[in-house]
Amino acid sequence: MVEIRPYSDEYEEYIRDESRTQGRADSISFPESEADVRDVLARLGGHVGVTVQGARTGLAAGAVPEGGHVMSMTHMNHYLGLRREEDADGTPRYLIRVEPGLVLSELRKALANDSVPTDGWDEESLAALTQMRQGPERFFPTDPTEASAMIGGIVACNASGARSYRYGPARPHVTALRVVLAEGDVLALRRGETFAHGRELDLTCEGGRHVHVDLPGYVMPHTKNASGYHAADNMDAIDLFIGSDGTLGIVTQVELELLAVPAVTWGVSCFLPSEDAALDLVDAARPALAHVSAMEYFDEGALEILRRQRETSAAFSALPEVPDGARACVFVELETDDAQQALAETYELGRLLTSVGASEDDTWVARTQVDRDAQTFFRHAVPESVNMLIDERRRTDPTITKLGSDMSVPDERLHDVVAMYRRTLAAAGLESAAWGHIGNNHLHVNVLPRDAADFSAGKALFRDWAREVTAMGGAVSAEHGVGKLKRDFLLAMYGPDHIREMAACKRQLDPAGILGRGNLFDEALLPGTEAATEKTTDTERTTDTDEGARA
Amino acid sequence: MRIVVCMKAVPSTTEVRMDPVTHTIVRDGRQAVVNPFDASGLEVALEIRERLGGHVSALSMGIPDTVRLLRDAISRGADDGLLLSDRAFAGADTLATSYALSRAIARGGMPDLVVCGKMAVDGDTAQIGPELAGALGMSCVTDVREIEHVDEGHITARRRRDGALELVEAALPCVITVAKDAATPRMPSIAGVRRGEAGTVEVLDAEAAGCDPARCGLDGSPTQVVRSFVPERSATAERVEGTSAEQAERIEQIVEGMAL
Repeated sequence: MVEIRPYSDEYEEYIRDESRTQGRADSISFPESEADVRDVLARLGGHVGVTVQGARTGLAAGAVPEGGHVMSMTHMNHYLGLRREEDADGTPRYLIRVEPGLVLSELRKALANDSVPTDGWDEESLAALTQMRQGPERFFPTDPTEASAMIGGIVACNASGARSYRYGPARPHVTALRVVLAEGDVLALRRGETFAHGRELDLTCEGGRHVHVDLPGYVMPHTKNASGYHAADNMDAIDLFIGSDGTLGIVTQVELELLAVPAVTWGVSCFLPSEDAALDLVDAARPALAHVSAMEYFDEGALEILRRQRETSAAFSALPEVPDGARACVFVELETDDAQQALAETYELGRLLTSVGASEDDTWVARTQVDRDAQTFFRHAVPESVNMLIDERRRTDPTITKLGSDMSVPDERLHDVVAMYRRTLAAAGLESAAWGHIGNNHLHVNVLPRDAADFSAGKALFRDWAREVTAMGGAVSAEHGVGKLKRDFLLAMYGPDHIREMAACKRQLDPAGILGRGNLFDEALLPGTEAATEKTTDTERTTDTDEGARA
Repeated sequence: MRIVVCMKAVPSTTEVRMDPVTHTIVRDGRQAVVNPFDASGLEVALEIRERLGGHVSALSMGIPDTVRLLRDAISRGADDGLLLSDRAFAGADTLATSYALSRAIARGGMPDLVVCGKMAVDGDTAQIGPELAGALGMSCVTDVREIEHVDEGHITARRRRDGALELVEAALPCVITVAKDAATPRMPSIAGVRRGEAGTVEVLDAEAAGCDPARCGLDGSPTQVVRSFVPERSATAERVEGTSAEQAERIEQIVEGMAL
């Protein structure tokens, strides 16, 4: 029987996450199986709050407990089997079944090295593996910056990463889930099997119990989105649980589709003389290039930080030197069937660069692993350097943290949203650096506060941005999830009525409101509704808390 | 200044697996890459050319597909490439390889400087540079970490030796072999890729390179690889518990048992 241990300082790391938010807990467990998960829930008696945790790499504090029990999935990290299916045209699909505590980098390594552990696999799985080995190498395409993330966490916040330009978020690659509900029932969900009727969803648990769920009535933005429950007419039931921030059930098994590794992957870093030229390049490249997997951006502030780091820090002295005069960088990753195709797309990219006033000379083309590693080092050095800068500033003022946005807008609003960021940052006199997934119109604009006044001004700015981005038809969280830090932004995005619908939907699956308390919406909405109604109709109050996004 | 950079194609993975039956390297079908020490060598050559002007040629010996790596060298800044490719070169040891390379280098007139990586990551011999210097009648500075100074007649370089750095001056022409930290290879630009694809890579067989067939390939190799194998290793772990004294006693027993 798995132990429920009282919380002590020994478990200090389990009450905070990568957002640097500190929580509190009363007890902790490390289940090793689905039976353990159900057992812990039963022994907690149905009224203790339960915060499910993966690797705590999240940036929205979704895994940070606000009291109650912490359920760490770190011991549930096994490979359970492999399934082979064929599309209508006979193309094979391979679907790997894993536990939620499996670390993404481990999965990548096992697939790349053909070293997936097969202990306990059935004959069908072993046969599928044999067949998979005869074809191209396979991979799981979701690529959040933090490869130490766990699969369960990736499912919980519907994580994305740079390659979401081509592959979308994790959602379409999750083909089945096993989910333990708050009262111990188990749902086995497979994509394509259970659908809502309009906005009404009827689920049948393994024990035969039926659960009716009324889905929220909002229309989701037509953009990259990880803000609140997925809700659409006639939607697949599995999509409700993906991106639900640990509030609807505890995922105990995940089946992921593995895709064929592209034959050729090249990265091209394009340095440009201005931000306008960079935006024009993105506009021109989106329709012109057919094999782009990622389109990323680094603004002048980010490049300046890298220039300084290269000169002053030994750890970053090997960074490639940014060309003189570069004020913006667009990184384009190409995935093609052969080198000729990649060459043609690279030349086309060169032509587009020239057309926006940049030069083919001011580019880095990475065609080898060594060069791709150098590019990755460069790209990842930006957030790392910003974290170092903020840590340095916290020595003089410990109240400040990094403030990073995670908002997206539709394609046609890219210029508008960047202009809005620039105008408001300049008006507030704030230092900033922006980078991120410009192909998806999804930038992480980071305010770099020098003191408490900057920090406060930055938070106010983010609240304004949440409203502006919503008005542009965008999403307040595109990939980090809402967690606890962005629920006020979610309120700004959907309004109090739809937030109440979300809470009602949760209560149908988790009547006592024990799972992921504090995520997505104010805890006052659970389990009673009347007090909550009064609270959440006051938008100004809820958007004026101390919780800025720290993505 | 005329500079020749020797570049070898090596397997793209450092995790070489041996076939337990045939004792040969398991080729996983991944494309070959340029030896990383040679990539640094190219960068050293390009930086010298940027200071002094001149001409950088990339030279390799290998299968016809190695042209791809020489085009990559041009895309990074080399002026041209030369590939020795002939079945007659197959099975060459370091002596036969350095002989063939020396013939190709001498063919265009003696360069001022020959740059090699200090070793290749597949064979690990570190012999090509010194043997090439011998064949060309040049002096040789190995394991260069930094070029301190170079002009038309001399080169001054820092090299690693017995845990210390040694400052060496050599008259040109000479051969240097470089460590990876001698220079960080630049990435090609799109304009560079265009130059690489359009650039000149001459491919020579043994005869065209003026090689004596008896000194090429297997026939010209006095050393033979009899067998390659991965040493068997075993590792066990034991948890040592108890009081500090008990733990110390047990550790002493274990160390004695290892018969160091």
